[in-house]
Amino acid sequence: MEVLLQTLIAGLLLGGLYALIGLGMTLIMGVMKIINLAHGELMMVGMYVAYVLFSAFHIDPYLSIIVVAPLLFLLGIVFQKYLINPVLRVEAILPENQVILTVGIGMVLANVATIIFSSNYQSTPVSYATTAWYLTDFWKGAPLELSLSLPWSVSFVFAIFITTGLWFFLSKTDTGKSIRATAQDYDAALLMGVNVKKMRVVTFGLGSALVGSAGCLFIPIYYLYPDLGGQFTLIAFVITILGGLGSTIGAIIGGIILGVFESLTATYLGMGWAPVGRFAIFILALIFIPGGIVSLFKKRRLAR
Amino acid sequence: MNKYSPFLLLGLLALLPFVGLSSYMMHILILFLMWSVIGIAWNLLSGYCGQVSFGHAAFFGIGAYTAGIFYAKVGISAWWGMPLSIIASTIAALVIGYICLRLRGPFFALATLAMGMILKVIAENLTDFTGGDIGIMLQQRTWVDKTGYYYIILAIAAISFFVVKKIVESKLGYYFVAIREDQDAAESLGINTTLYKTIALCISAVITGIAGAFYMNYMGYIDPKVVFALHDISIITIMVVMVGGVATYWGPVVGSLIMVMLAELIRSIPKLGEAHHTFFGVLLILIIIFMPNGIVGDFRKFAKFFGVRRAQR
Amino acid sequence: MKRFGIMLLIVSIFCLVAAPVMAANINLVIPLPLTGKQAKFGEIMKRSYEIAVEEINAKGGVKGQKLAISFEDSTGKPEIARSIVEKLIGTKKQPIIVGEYTSACAKAVAAVAEERKTPYLVVASADDNITQQKYKYVFRQNAVNSHYSDGVADYFKKIVKPSTIAILYESSAFGTSGAEAMRKDAKAMGIKVVVDEKYEAGSVDFKPILSKVKAAKPDVVYMVSYVMDASLLMKQIKELRIDAKQFAGGAAGFAIPEFLQNAKDAAEYVISATLWTEKLKYPGAKEYANKYKAKYGDFPSYHGASAYASLYVVADALKRAKDMQPESIRAAMKATNLMTAFGPVKFEDKEGYQNQNFNDTFVIQVQKGVFETIWPENHASKKYIFPVPTWKDRR
Repeated sequence: MEVLLQTLIAGLLLGGLYALIGLGMTLIMGVMKIINLAHGELMMVGMYVAYVLFSAFHIDPYLSIIVVAPLLFLLGIVFQKYLINPVLRVEAILPENQVILTVGIGMVLANVATIIFSSNYQSTPVSYATTAWYLTDFWKGAPLELSLSLPWSVSFVFAIFITTGLWFFLSKTDTGKSIRATAQDYDAALLMGVNVKKMRVVTFGLGSALVGSAGCLFIPIYYLYPDLGGQFTLIAFVITILGGLGSTIGAIIGGIILGVFESLTATYLGMGWAPVGRFAIFILALIFIPGGIVSLFKKRRLAR
Repeated sequence: MNKYSPFLLLGLLALLPFVGLSSYMMHILILFLMWSVIGIAWNLLSGYCGQVSFGHAAFFGIGAYTAGIFYAKVGISAWWGMPLSIIASTIAALVIGYICLRLRGPFFALATLAMGMILKVIAENLTDFTGGDIGIMLQQRTWVDKTGYYYIILAIAAISFFVVKKIVESKLGYYFVAIREDQDAAESLGINTTLYKTIALCISAVITGIAGAFYMNYMGYIDPKVVFALHDISIITIMVVMVGGVATYWGPVVGSLIMVMLAELIRSIPKLGEAHHTFFGVLLILIIIFMPNGIVGDFRKFAKFFGVRRAQR
Repeated sequence: MKRFGIMLLIVSIFCLVAAPVMAANINLVIPLPLTGKQAKFGEIMKRSYEIAVEEINAKGGVKGQKLAISFEDSTGKPEIARSIVEKLIGTKKQPIIVGEYTSACAKAVAAVAEERKTPYLVVASADDNITQQKYKYVFRQNAVNSHYSDGVADYFKKIVKPSTIAILYESSAFGTSGAEAMRKDAKAMGIKVVVDEKYEAGSVDFKPILSKVKAAKPDVVYMVSYVMDASLLMKQIKELRIDAKQFAGGAAGFAIPEFLQNAKDAAEYVISATLWTEKLKYPGAKEYANKYKAKYGDFPSYHGASAYASLYVVADALKRAKDMQPESIRAAMKATNLMTAFGPVKFEDKEGYQNQNFNDTFVIQVQKGVFETIWPENHASKKYIFPVPTWKDRR
């Protein structure tokens, strides 16, 4: 019982973190339909900025979001405007040729980080890194001992906040609506007078800013080295597909489902098998719910 | 490029060992040919048939592990892996195709990517069968001298080159291109798209699998992280073809030249040190921005850029 | 046909660059992973080689010649490691190969070295079967992975006396064989293995398996982690308040300075196997460690020490060899009996290994935020702390 509950808590918190990483990807993939293999590297950049701010000025990683998000936004805009757009513009036999581009960007980012910061493993040893709340501390006679980690919970709360904020932005503001229009139908949006080019640039910037902020929330929990991007890019793919392209709510639901599922496989099947579960879910989602989890809700609403 | 040039190049390459190349050069040439083979295989599925696979490491790994497992568990020479891998990769292609080919575009790509990762984790966890993370090591490789390996991989490369060329020039090839250009239109013209996509996947998988079996024999050591690698195998495969030229006969060969030889060359520049990745990454970005269809695909631009007159066709 | 021209041009440039460079010094090119996931260790080793070569040259070099070393980035890929070694043996005629870090790369290099009859000194790759292949030209200076845990097992037997153990290891050759060694040791000592779990290296969340460990209440938890997983594991163990009598690590991730920096107070009292510490009483160990620290701000891990010592071993073999032919160097290597900063080095054939150096392994414990050598007692820099207080009683 204790194991199950603790596993569920762990899964939920992990899901929040995953959702954070997936949010940026779901925007970028939803609007531009490109597979961005440099996603994890952008997160790495965000983490390094947070790390520098922490080690040079003792700025808390959570606070550094204020700096990281605009910085990554700019970086994203530059990439989109000067690198990705020129490639998307031309007629190529396979549209997937942008993959090379993102791989190249990722390679350069990771290598530049190695040159600047060396390949050392870095971390921001904040004082609250291992702080946790325990059930037995609050309730002496508790039948079981559960714990809730402070930095993990903070990230989870942030994930919820960011998701809601993003949801409001996308559904209530003009820019947000234009982004969604661009995602749904590029040509129609263009005809309706949406500045789709600008929207693409903004989206890529926004996606980068989101994943950079995810890096800031990640660094108190994890650690940092130039080559860490790859595995998080993969996780972001899974969440994007699971949640539904371009859906913020989907990303957080997808993240939580994935987190809980992974934790359960890790506990009851063995942690070595957890990645199989992750990718099996991925393929199942691709085949059976191509619109992602949000599409399930939508369909039901229509049927009514 | 006239129709004799492939034979000319083949003849040249066949004569190359007689020049007395160093073992190092032979190694690079072998890697170059091996990557050409994988590129040619990927090009058939993705370049011509339009099904972009992000998981060719799956077939490469299956080929390598077929050779490895038969060597380690059955005790026969790892060279048997080559014919045996044909069966193994066909089965794998049928299974993966059944699952993934119902998806289109980027979704197919992501599904194959996941397939590659799943196979990697399975290979890591079926310790009794695959040796897990310890991998499989050949006690002794067949030859010290590389000429034998060179001719084997050259033969594989030549055969796959001509097979793919034949297929692309046949009716099958037109079906493939039709599917790539517009799957629904192809379907409405009466082309059984699922069947032809599966055929493309199977041929592609078999060629890749043979390359994998060759890798086992040549390197003498495999483990899941090496042969099922996402970046080092699957993505590099894509880059080989994309940089060289998608849906061109020579694309994979030229791409492999760049991805293997130029990468090695850049890596060897002494002053560059660990910055060679940046250099190479920038090069890739430039290639794709200025030649989105790859070097062969956009050869005219390439030639113009270097001030070379367009080659006579 | 212009395309051929360009291709030929590229190939010919390639040949030119690869052409051998003549020099009077003894040139050694060392393949190391300088980029990629393993770059961290490549870097430690690179720095250590540089310190060693400076010292050797200051003392007069080898047979009146100076040693000149340079590095090539193998990026952690076996094919590339092989490329480098093919070049070194085939083109540059380097008579001895030293270096490489990951076991996969070391295996690729060893196979080439054996085929081409050039001695190869393995410096830090731990996978057992590198020296189990009946290779004649492959020497290994560091202990095999299955011996890494000897010190810890001894400490368990004499001090901790556990009856149950949980083994957690990462999915890599290093993790698998490290865990296998501990399983054997546990069986020999009659310790019951209650949890035996593999995890994907680089995982974020270990709480699921850790809750399982908590429920199983093992006396000791033994973890084999390459790098930072070690500190994540300890941080999350602290979070979950798992109270085992002793937490132990199997070298690598538990023995690098980053472990202390990242895990901080969660690292306290954790013991780890190691092949070397800067506090050992080997000649030159302290000097090397201090030099390294002065230059780079941190004490080196055992990988660095092994790299540092390996150059002395090579220089010593080159001095004793009657000429610069691989065959004579191999003979000289085989006869090595040298005391180094890494401990005594002697290549023996026993227990199914060939040309293997069997050095002692040690146990370190984190005490007040620094690594102290605690076992074996004759090498101890501080007395061990046992029993370990529970998480609630700490602070």
